[in-house]
Amino acid sequence: MQSSGTQSVTREAPVHLEGLGKDYGHFTALKSLELTVSKGTSFGFLGPNGAGKSTTIKLMTNLIRPSRGRAALFGIDVRQEPTRALARIGAVIETPEFYGYLSPLETLAYVGRLRGMPKDEIERRSEAVLKEVKLGDWADHRIQEFSKGMKQRLAIAQALLNEPELLILDEPTSGLDPRGMAEVRDVIKALKGEGRTIFMSSHLLGEVQEVCDDVALLNHGELLIHGSVRELSRGADTSTFQTTFLHSPTPQELEALASVPGVVEVKAEGDSTVDLRISGGEDGQARVLEAMVTRGLKVITYRPLGSSLEQLYLDRIQESDRI
Amino acid sequence: MTASPFAQVVTVTSYEIRKYVRGRRLLGILILVGLIIGLFLGLPPALGSSYPSTPNAFVSTFATFTGLLVVLSGVLFAADALVSEHEKRTGYFLFPNPVRREVLVLGKIAASLIVSTGVISLYYGSAAIAALVVTKSLTWDVGLSYLYSLAYMIAVVGIAYLVSAVFKSTVAATVLTFFLFTLIFGIVGAILPAAKIDPWFIPTSASGIISDVLGGTAVRPGPGGEVPRGFVPDPATSLLVFAAYAVVGAVLAILLFRRKELAS
Repeated sequence: MQSSGTQSVTREAPVHLEGLGKDYGHFTALKSLELTVSKGTSFGFLGPNGAGKSTTIKLMTNLIRPSRGRAALFGIDVRQEPTRALARIGAVIETPEFYGYLSPLETLAYVGRLRGMPKDEIERRSEAVLKEVKLGDWADHRIQEFSKGMKQRLAIAQALLNEPELLILDEPTSGLDPRGMAEVRDVIKALKGEGRTIFMSSHLLGEVQEVCDDVALLNHGELLIHGSVRELSRGADTSTFQTTFLHSPTPQELEALASVPGVVEVKAEGDSTVDLRISGGEDGQARVLEAMVTRGLKVITYRPLGSSLEQLYLDRIQESDRI
Repeated sequence: MTASPFAQVVTVTSYEIRKYVRGRRLLGILILVGLIIGLFLGLPPALGSSYPSTPNAFVSTFATFTGLLVVLSGVLFAADALVSEHEKRTGYFLFPNPVRREVLVLGKIAASLIVSTGVISLYYGSAAIAALVVTKSLTWDVGLSYLYSLAYMIAVVGIAYLVSAVFKSTVAATVLTFFLFTLIFGIVGAILPAAKIDPWFIPTSASGIISDVLGGTAVRPGPGGEVPRGFVPDPATSLLVFAAYAVVGAVLAILLFRRKELAS
């Protein structure tokens, strides 16, 4: 049970979702999501395509109506008072299109005027955010000439214009080349350093791990796990190690490998490469390596495939798909 | 920090007008207006006939095309204004801002009305100046005809916004708005008298006051004898009909646009 003080903090948190759900006819896109994101948190919203991530973000930004529950930003109900709720946020949802007849500067001026920003502040911030997303040289060009990646950068720029306390980003690196992705991540990390709250959806685990403190995993419209990246990584029971041997292991050797304590699964991936799924954390990994060497197997490489969080992600998604 | 709803309406209006000014649609309709004016002024001397001798008769030849011009303005500057935010995905950038949907609709309607008024005013202004030059006089009827055409334009824009709020495709909204006023209302207005119902509530029938106030256009009898003129309600009824279509169209457009979800 939460004390009244805690309840108040929770309700006035940058993001507070209470039993939020959305149905499209007989299809349930989001079941009943309970989620609170505290101030200053960089929050990763993970899940495969169709998990309900974008639906949640659209509900949070009043693009769609909830079938049940409520979404509140800074304690303000998004449906009841949308202008107040959206005043303190900046959002990038999917890859938005812009008016092709406007330039980035004009687009930012439009957003700034709608938000009631003074003219000199619009000019100052426009210059700063366009520089930040590397569109400074394109400030006066018509957007109709822009590539998808440039539009995505502009979307980020307009979301940053009013120096929002909460930044909602739906797949922010979608459509960007690797360099652009890295630059956007740097922008997000810089914002995180400034203490802003970030709510970011992604299906890129590495991206979320790099940028976020807390993470929630969604599948089939249901919250599967929720916690800090560190705790979840630590709590992940198994991880997969790709092991390459000097010679192809025989079936008997593979069988022997499977019987090593801590080895959950042995999967031959090639002539001399085997993926070993290992439980028991770092101790377990060391024990397995030791056991292989003891059994006379000549190990050339022994490296983790993805992170423990990735393994946890895949496990939970598979588990959820089976149900 | 959020602008007042009025300031937001002004902002939306100014950016929508910029869209029309920079787009090809305004240029296209201005070329059409120039072409119509050029034909009306250039053809009679080229064919050796004389211009009408009174200002009302002179302007009434122009007024025959006012209805089409009004409908074209509604189609080009209103029919896709709302639906395009969904179809072209610009809503994803616009809607998460602290601005109510009704503010967006009102701003867009204001822009459509301003641009359409500009086009109609240019057309009527040219006709009036030409009438003044040719007949050396003008009448208040010309001004009334202009005001009636503006009232009809407001009704067309109202309905165009309603269509734009209902449909999911810009092409469908544009095509339906055009055929609604050029074909469907016309057919209904022509069939109703056969059932002994005066089509006073059909906007295209009510738009007859635009020409009627100038004395109507001269219709030559065909081989079968006199051609019956279509039913035209009195000006007060027509103006009420226009107002009803404009208000109902705009209000329903706002309500539907508020409810419309941006889900791809």
